[in-house]
Parts: sequence; structure tokens; C-alpha cells
Amino acid sequence: MNVVKKFVKAREFTSFLFLVALFVIVGVINPAFLTLDNISACFNSSVVYTLIAVGMAFAIFIGEIDVSVGSTMGLSAAVAGTMIQNGSNWFLAFLVAIVIGVVVGLINGWGVAVMKIPSLIFTLGTNGILRGMMYLQVGAEQVNNLPKEFKDISSMTLIGSFTIYYCCVVMLAVAIHFLLTRTKRGRYFIAVGDNAGGAELVGIPATRTKVMAYLICGVLSAVAGIIFASRIGIVTSLSGNGYEMKAVAACVLGGISLSGGVGSVIGAGIGAVIMASISYLLVFMQFPSNYDNAITGVILITIVVIDALMQRRTAVNNRHARLAARTSAAPSGKEGLEQ
Amino acid sequence: MGDKENTGTTAPLLSVRGIYKSFGLNAVLKGIGLDIMPGEVLALIGGNGAGKSTLMKIIMGIYSHDSGELAINGQTVALNRPAEALAQGIYMVPQEPLLFPNMTVEENVIIGFDKSKAELHKELVDTMRDVGWNLDLGRKAGSLSIAEQQMVEILRGILRHARLLILDEPTSALTFDEVKSLFQVVRDLREKGIGIIYITHRLAEVFDISTHVAIMRDGTITVQGPVDNFTRDDLVKGLLPPDAEVNTQTKSAGTSKVDYSAQPVLELENFSGYGFSDVSLKVWPGEILGVAGVVGAGRTEMATTIFGMDKVLRGRVLLNGSDITGKKTRQVIAAGINYVPEDRHLNGLFKICDVSANTTSASLFGGALGKVFLNRRSEFDITEKYVKNFRTKVTGHDQLAGSLSGGNQQKIVIGRSLATDPGIVILDEPTRGIDAAARGDVYHIIHQLREQGLSILLISSDMEELEELADRVVTMYQGRINAEFQKADINQDNLTAAAFGIVEREAKEA
Amino acid sequence: MSEKSPKLGGQSGLRRLWNGPNFRWNFFLLILLIGECAVFGAANEKFLSLTRVFTAANDFLPICMISIFVTFVMITGGIDIQVSSIVGLTSIVIGVAWQDFGLNIWAAVALAVVVAALCGALSGFFIAYCGVQAMVVTLGGSFLYTGLALLVSTWSSTEAYKGISGFPDSFKALTKTKLFDFIPLQIVIFLAMVVVAHLLLHRTKYGRKIYLVGVNPSAAEYSGINSRLVIMSTYILSAVSAAIAGIIMTSYLGTAKSDLGGSLTMNIITACVLGGTLSTGGKGSVLGTTMAALAIGLLRFGMPLCFKIQAQYLDIPVGVLLVVVVVGRAIASNPNVVAWFGRLRGKGKVSRAGI
Repeated sequence: MNVVKKFVKAREFTSFLFLVALFVIVGVINPAFLTLDNISACFNSSVVYTLIAVGMAFAIFIGEIDVSVGSTMGLSAAVAGTMIQNGSNWFLAFLVAIVIGVVVGLINGWGVAVMKIPSLIFTLGTNGILRGMMYLQVGAEQVNNLPKEFKDISSMTLIGSFTIYYCCVVMLAVAIHFLLTRTKRGRYFIAVGDNAGGAELVGIPATRTKVMAYLICGVLSAVAGIIFASRIGIVTSLSGNGYEMKAVAACVLGGISLSGGVGSVIGAGIGAVIMASISYLLVFMQFPSNYDNAITGVILITIVVIDALMQRRTAVNNRHARLAARTSAAPSGKEGLEQ
Repeated sequence: MGDKENTGTTAPLLSVRGIYKSFGLNAVLKGIGLDIMPGEVLALIGGNGAGKSTLMKIIMGIYSHDSGELAINGQTVALNRPAEALAQGIYMVPQEPLLFPNMTVEENVIIGFDKSKAELHKELVDTMRDVGWNLDLGRKAGSLSIAEQQMVEILRGILRHARLLILDEPTSALTFDEVKSLFQVVRDLREKGIGIIYITHRLAEVFDISTHVAIMRDGTITVQGPVDNFTRDDLVKGLLPPDAEVNTQTKSAGTSKVDYSAQPVLELENFSGYGFSDVSLKVWPGEILGVAGVVGAGRTEMATTIFGMDKVLRGRVLLNGSDITGKKTRQVIAAGINYVPEDRHLNGLFKICDVSANTTSASLFGGALGKVFLNRRSEFDITEKYVKNFRTKVTGHDQLAGSLSGGNQQKIVIGRSLATDPGIVILDEPTRGIDAAARGDVYHIIHQLREQGLSILLISSDMEELEELADRVVTMYQGRINAEFQKADINQDNLTAAAFGIVEREAKEA
Repeated sequence: MSEKSPKLGGQSGLRRLWNGPNFRWNFFLLILLIGECAVFGAANEKFLSLTRVFTAANDFLPICMISIFVTFVMITGGIDIQVSSIVGLTSIVIGVAWQDFGLNIWAAVALAVVVAALCGALSGFFIAYCGVQAMVVTLGGSFLYTGLALLVSTWSSTEAYKGISGFPDSFKALTKTKLFDFIPLQIVIFLAMVVVAHLLLHRTKYGRKIYLVGVNPSAAEYSGINSRLVIMSTYILSAVSAAIAGIIMTSYLGTAKSDLGGSLTMNIITACVLGGTLSTGGKGSVLGTTMAALAIGLLRFGMPLCFKIQAQYLDIPVGVLLVVVVVGRAIASNPNVVAWFGRLRGKGKVSRAGI
């Protein structure tokens, strides 16, 4: 298959077109929006969502879900934030955050892959525990007064008006995409989600792959926590609450199927930008920002319903075509069934 | 193992010695011993629950065995994971292919290899040329037919240079032509010295394709050896429990005559839908009309379309003279037709529900079970009636359907259909996958129903069954009725020939 | 489906009850509840005062009410994470309709229930008739209905963060009245909901259909059951239960706010799962969910009272409870463990016989 054709047919390409259309529509309504600064702001503001969505994508690829990402992010932001606030080494804080991500990922992976507990339920449990631990860490106060240098990183730009963070995250996502599509082990994630039983039979270690997916998800959420602390500068005991739902929404918007085995991390990234842009775009359309949630909901439902209807149509048509091919035109002894 | 094709001095490709396996308190394998040499095709037959698939899963490293050992080329090995079995050159093509539906054919075949993509692509194309198959490598596996999916599975096995290939009921979903081409592939592979374990339900295939045969029953191997040493009857005997009296029921079907002058119960007029076309037939009161054919001939599609599960393209369905074409399932049931699905597990059974919930599940509309609240007494009575009449073995009405044996599950599903008090039932492969004793019971039930004046449309691929039960048989071939046989003409040869599309004048070709 | 016809012989009644599909789990939940009462009661006798429990119940009553009907959804194999957003929507609709559109308070309440039912029906329609995963649709629904609630709040002359207050006494009486001067009316409403739900799920033909659809949707279709309608109806039920919870909360707090109930989702799902509902469908009971919801509620009440644990930390014990229970159940249902217990029991019998 032609490379361009393959690219155009990809599900994430539809999401990308949707994003472009969104920008164009807003641009038509309010031409003031169409500046590089505004558009890059949409991308820059999606950095935390992107990281979490890419992590969530791994959980969804394998046909599971991880609703503890928001709390993982919050906890890592709180812990690392407190350490940095107290003047400890940034690198050390970073490391501790990563360790949190690893531990959470391993626990989730163990529960889901080894103990075979439905992922929604298990991660719901860990989510509660993590959220509580975050209260323990932050208390009724909030982590603020983070050093200026730490917060300033978030506004440094690398290419054009794209921030260092966003550029790094994009590079990370592209690297992950290549690992997933081009390496033998990378394909395992999609394969396990597509057909876990079949994956076992061709020698793919399904359990290990699932644990790995949760590990990656945990680590990326933890990294997102550090970026969150740096960008926002304040961590309260509610930080990260509800991010898990936004991450799932971003994945779905990016063409990742919740039944597993379909999609790419690039799609997750695009979906995250859509999610992050909506409130920004509303400002330019002179809508009150109250519409944010409602519009997100409408877009999300519309996309999944259309997708489901189209998939069902194709499935039914395929079935009917296959059955029709079996029926001979006339009762002759002609051979050659099945197409 | 004195086989003419082997020298007899080489170590067996795979040697299974004294394998025991239980799940919890349930002993599934009780000391299995098997040998397979290079170039052998070992047909493994046995009913459901005999332990075949458990044994295969142990060989594939999916399950671990409790005791006993596996040896490959004479060396004892431990196979704890599928990856280890694959490394030893064992590959299993499961009954329902386990492909990745969202990946292309090529990705499906080459996943899990260490070599470069280009290299694998070349190897794959070469292999396909060798076996003479033509598959579009860029197609998504989800869009393939079952036969094509099986081809992909076999390609996987060949590309992995498997020395032992396990085929688990490979022909159960294939058309006649596809079976022929599969057999050719099996023969080619055998020539190359690959050992094959061929699991099947069909005795005829054993003599067609295998060099050796082994029969499993209840966790043990009852009969094994070169296939030439056995007759069909020997194999049947091996399948039956030692104390079972062979079903010698005489054809009681002839006792009451069908009145062909009465109004037909069910009438199809040029009935067409997806998978079948221009079907016209009549079923009279108290008649068993058999519908013969091979898998994929359009019989199930016809039945489910009558039953309101798919779109009618043309034609009419008349029930007792009134038109019920295109009605919804519940309306069709209320009108007096019920259908016992072919796939019991997928469409018939509520496994984690109890016997009574299963039996009454189709009676929930209408007043039989009360208006709003469930009438426990009628529920009990209905359930009791069918449990008793069918002699279903249950520990109580609260036993979960999933814990019953295949035959008893089938009785429950038949009971469910009859509980709606239909004038005609469509039985789709009513004895598929159940053991010989239960088969006898189901036959008995069918006779009994006929005696009570119920009409039955009996869809079956088992010609022996149709010979035993049917008053009249039509055969379907490629979605159309191509022949009809009266009672006197019903015999396995006639039916088989017509099912495979060979009607009288072409019979010589067979 | 825990009740069996009484005249079935073979096993003793007690034994059959013990072997019933939900009984053992419900028994465990009962022990858990009693255990909680014992521990908290021993730590602080105030815990055992019913009046106190009734007052505290207002905090966890919404969880109990909604989780019962979310159980219906989960039995069909679905999930409903939009209910908490419907609580807020109900509340603000009541407030705006009453204050800004001048509706009679009870008409406003009725309107809110209808709106909630429509929301449930919309999501249920997409799930049942379009075949979209319940998780995604109700996720979208939670965004959409939260957003709608915010929108509705902008129609009001009152600032959104303040909430609409000053409801008539007849409406407040809903949560101020006490039956026999003792049992608050909302508790009575809750108990009535439990009874209705129990009858609906375990005694009616409709309830049986819910189970059958959850166990095997395809076989249900072949039984002539309109599984799509059944599935859709469960989402309407859960939405209506959320509306009732929203009404009670609004009445109790005396303020209508669009963000009421925001943090309920996790607790509701936890209650369902803890109550023995199978997330893959086909299993669950009203009694189980009720007891589990009460167990969570008592935990949330007892921990701060007896051990001075701040309310914010309560997610930890609830989370721990959920994780411990699901892991424990996974271990207990492992065939090797079952076999080990079986052998243990077998040995016990042998040794007893030896004596």
C-alpha cells in the first residue's frame, strides 16, 4: 500500500482533520484567532493532557483502562513539588516522582494482569488510595511558592513559540510511536489488546506486556505531574482530579478504540490537543467558558456514535456480501464458493 | 508403532507419557500416552469434554500438567509457556482462529518473529506460492472468512518451521472445496516430514487423511494405532462408554403417517435473504422435514431470517396460512414458531443462570409467567415439566446451566423453545458436540414431539441423523434447495451427494 | 434470582440458601457491617446513636440511592459514570425553574425528574441502539450533563457559585420531616427505593430480562427479549434515581447548585462492585449493593467520628476496602485455592470419620 494512502486512511488522520477544521471554523468566525501564537498556545496548553493521554493509550491498547492516572499525576506533583519547594535537588525530586509512577504502575499491572481483576474496578481502588495519600501529603494547604526558576521552564520556548515542554513531549510521543510500530515488542501491546488469547498462542507474553503497559502509563502520569507543578505553580489536594476522564476522552477523540487493539499514541496526542483547545477556542468564539464541558461531551458522543454506526454498517455489509457470495446465481454445479 | 512410512529407528517427534491433569477437584486427564512420528497424521477423536483440548493446551504450554512428561525428539522438555512450545517447533491452529482482527494478514503472520520485515515478507510470499494460496496480505484479518483465517494460521505455523502442527477441528467451518484444499496441504506437509495432530469430530475424515488414529474418552485414550487396523465400527465403539448399550432404537418415525392433504403448518414461498435464495418448501402437521447440506449452505441463515433476526429480501413465510414475513422475533415466537440455535453457547444458553431461568427465558412475554411479577409456581411447573419429560440430569432447578454437560444443556435449550408452545420448531444441528448417549436422548425427544403432532424443521449436517429421523428431506446447496427426497429415498449416499451439489446426472464424478 | 421455589427437595433449605448465588457474598457484607458497627461502637459509643447515624446518613444517602439502580445497569453488562452529573443537573433545574421561571416547586421537581430521565434515555439509546461502549457514552454524558447544568445555571439571576436558595418550606420538609418523630423522611424514601428496586429486579419479569440480557445478550435476542429496550431502560432508571438523590440533596442543603454530587461516581461504582455485582454483567443484587453502600457510608461516618480522621482522607479506606475485596475474591475463586479448600474440607471429614 502506498505510504500516503496508508497515512490518509489512518484513524488519527481523521482526528487531525477534525482539529484543523476546528481551527478553521473558529478562524472564520473570529479571524483574530489565526495567529501562530494562538495556535501554538492551544498546543502548549495540551502538554499535561498529552502525556497522560499517551500513558492512558497504553492501558487502552491492551484493552484495559487506568482511572488512577489523575491521582498518580496529582501525587507526583505534590511530592515533587514539596521537595522542590523545600529546596531539594530537582533531579532527586524528578526521580522520586518517577519512582511513584513505577510503583503505581506495577501495582495496577499486578492487579489487572496477574490477579485478573477488571481494570476499571482495580484502578478505581488505587485511585482512591492515591487521592487519599495526596491529601496526606498536601493537607488542607496547597503546595505553592515553588521556585521561580522551576516555574519559568514552562514558559521557555524551543521552536517558534512552542514551549520546551511541548517539544519534548512531542518528541517523546513520536519516539514511542516508532517503538510501538517498528519494533517487535512494540507491536505486542496492540496485539494483546486485539486478541489476548491469540497473542499467547504466538508466544507473546500477555501478562508481562500488560504489566509493562501499566508501568508506562504510571510513569508518564508521574512525569505529567512534574510538568503540571511547573506550569501551574500550585498543587492543591484536588489537582489532577478528573484528568483520567479527560485522558480517556482524548484517546477516544484521537481514534483509539476502547475495546483495545486499535489506534496510536499520535492519535492520543491529537485528541489531547482537541481537549485542551476547546475552552481556548470558546473564548475566541465569544462563548462563555461554561460551554466547555457541554461541547466536549457533544463532540465526544458524536464521534463515538458515528464511528460505531459506521463500523457496524461495514460489519453488516461485509457479512451480507460474504453470504451473498455463497449463494449461487442459479442451481448449477458450478464450483468455487467463498468469493 | 510399525508404520511403513517411517524407519522406526528415529525418536518420536512428540511423546506424551502418563499425563494427568485436574482442575480443582475435577480430573480431566487420567494418564494420557501418545507418540507421534515425523510424517504422521494422527487423528484424535473424542466427544466434548473428553479432554482433547486440555491435552492440546498442555502440549502448547498454556496449561501445566500435574504429572507425567512430554518429550520432543526423545528429550524430556518442560513447556510452561506457549513461547517455549513454539521454540520447540510446535504450532497449534485453534478451532476458532485467534487472529488479530485489526491487523493485516501480513502483520498477523509475522508478529513475534525476530527477523527483519523484508526478509519475512519474502519468506511469506514464497510460502504462499509453495502451497498455492492467494491471500491479499494487506487485508484486515477481521474481514476474512473462517477458512481464510485458518489459512493464515497455517501459514504462521509453516513460517515458524513447525515440526508438529496441531489442527483443532479445522474443517468444522469449511466448505467442501476448502476441505479439499486443506487436505492437500496436509498431505504436502506430511511429505515434508511434519507431524500433524488432527482433531476432528468427523469419522469419515479420519480415513481420508490420517495415518494413525487415537480416540479419547473421559480423560483416557481408549483406542490407538495405525488407521488401517480399524474399521468405522471399531472407532464408534471406542467413542462409546463401555457400558453403554448401542442405540438400537428402531425407526419409529413410520408409526404415524403424515397427512399431506391438510394445510401445511409452515410454508415458504420464494423466500430469499442474505445467504439463501428462492427457497420454497412446505412442512405439514406432525412432519419432520430434514434440511440437509454442508456448513455454509445457507440453512442457518434461512432459519434465523424466518425467526426475525435478519432482513427478508424476497418471498413470503406463511404460518398456518397467515403471513408472518419480516416480523420481529418475539412476534414470530408468539405466532407459534421457535428456533433452537446451532451455536448453543453463543445464542442458546445463559450459562450463569439457573435451569429454570433458562427454560422459561423465551416465555417472558405473554401471560404464561404472570403479568408483571414472575409467577414462581408456573416457572417451577414449566421447568419441572421439561426436566422430567426430557430426563435432564440436574441437581435441582437452581443448578447453573453452565455446569451441565453438553447433552443436558441442549435439552434445556430445546425445552426453552417448547415452553412457548409452538406449532413448529426449527432444530438447528441439535446433536452437534454432544456425546452418543445424549444424542440418543435427543432423538427420543424428537420422536416424542412428532408423536404429539408437533412439526419439526430439522437442519442437520449429519446424514445418519436425517436418515433416522426425517419424514422427508430437502437438501440445500449454495443457498438454494437442489433436491428433495421422500422417506423411501432417504439414505446417506443420496443426501451426501446432493449436499455436495451432485444431483443424479453428475453423480458419477463423485 | 436468589429465591427458589420452596417445594424443591433434595437439599435442606438452609444449605440451599447458603449455596445460593448471592447469599455467601451478602453474608460476608452483613458480617462486614456488623464488624464496622462493633469496631466503631467500641471506639466511640456516639457511633451507636441512631439519631446521629440518621443525621450523618444525609452525606451518604445519595451514594446508596444511586448505586442500587446503577447495579441494574451493571447487571446488563454496562456501566454508568454520568449519574453524578445528573445529580447536579437536577438540582440546578429545580432551582432555576422555581426561582427564575416561576414554576411551582413541585412542578419544578417533576420537570427535573423528566429532564434526568431524558438524559438517561439519550445515553441509553446510544449504548443500546448504536452499540457504543457504555463507558464512552456515559463519559461523554458526564461532560455533557455537567456542561448543561452550568448552562442552566447561567439562566439564573443568582451567581452560580452562590447557589439558589430560599426554597419554600414544603420542599424543605422533604428532609426535615421525621416519621414517628424519629426516622427522617429521606431514610423512608431510601428504604422505599430499596424495596421497589428489590421487587423490580428479583421478582418481576422485567428484572429477569435484565439478568438474561446481561448474561448472554445474543441468547436473549433468540428468546424474543427486546434486549435493546431493556438495556436503555436501565439507564433511564439510574438517571431517575440520580434525580431523586439530587432532589433530596437540594432539599437538605436548601440550595440548588450545578456541581452537587460531583464526587459521587467512584463511591457508587465501588458500592456496586463491593455489593457483588459482576462488572461483566449477569450478576448482582439489590440487597448486596445496599449493604455495600451502607458499609461505605458507615465507614465515612465512623472514621472521622471515632478516629478523628479528616473527611478528605476517607478515600484511602474506601479504596483499600475495594482493592482488598476484589483481590481477596480473585484469590478465593482461583481454582487451585478452591481445590486446596476442598481437600482441606475432605480431610476434615476423613479425620472426623476416623474419630
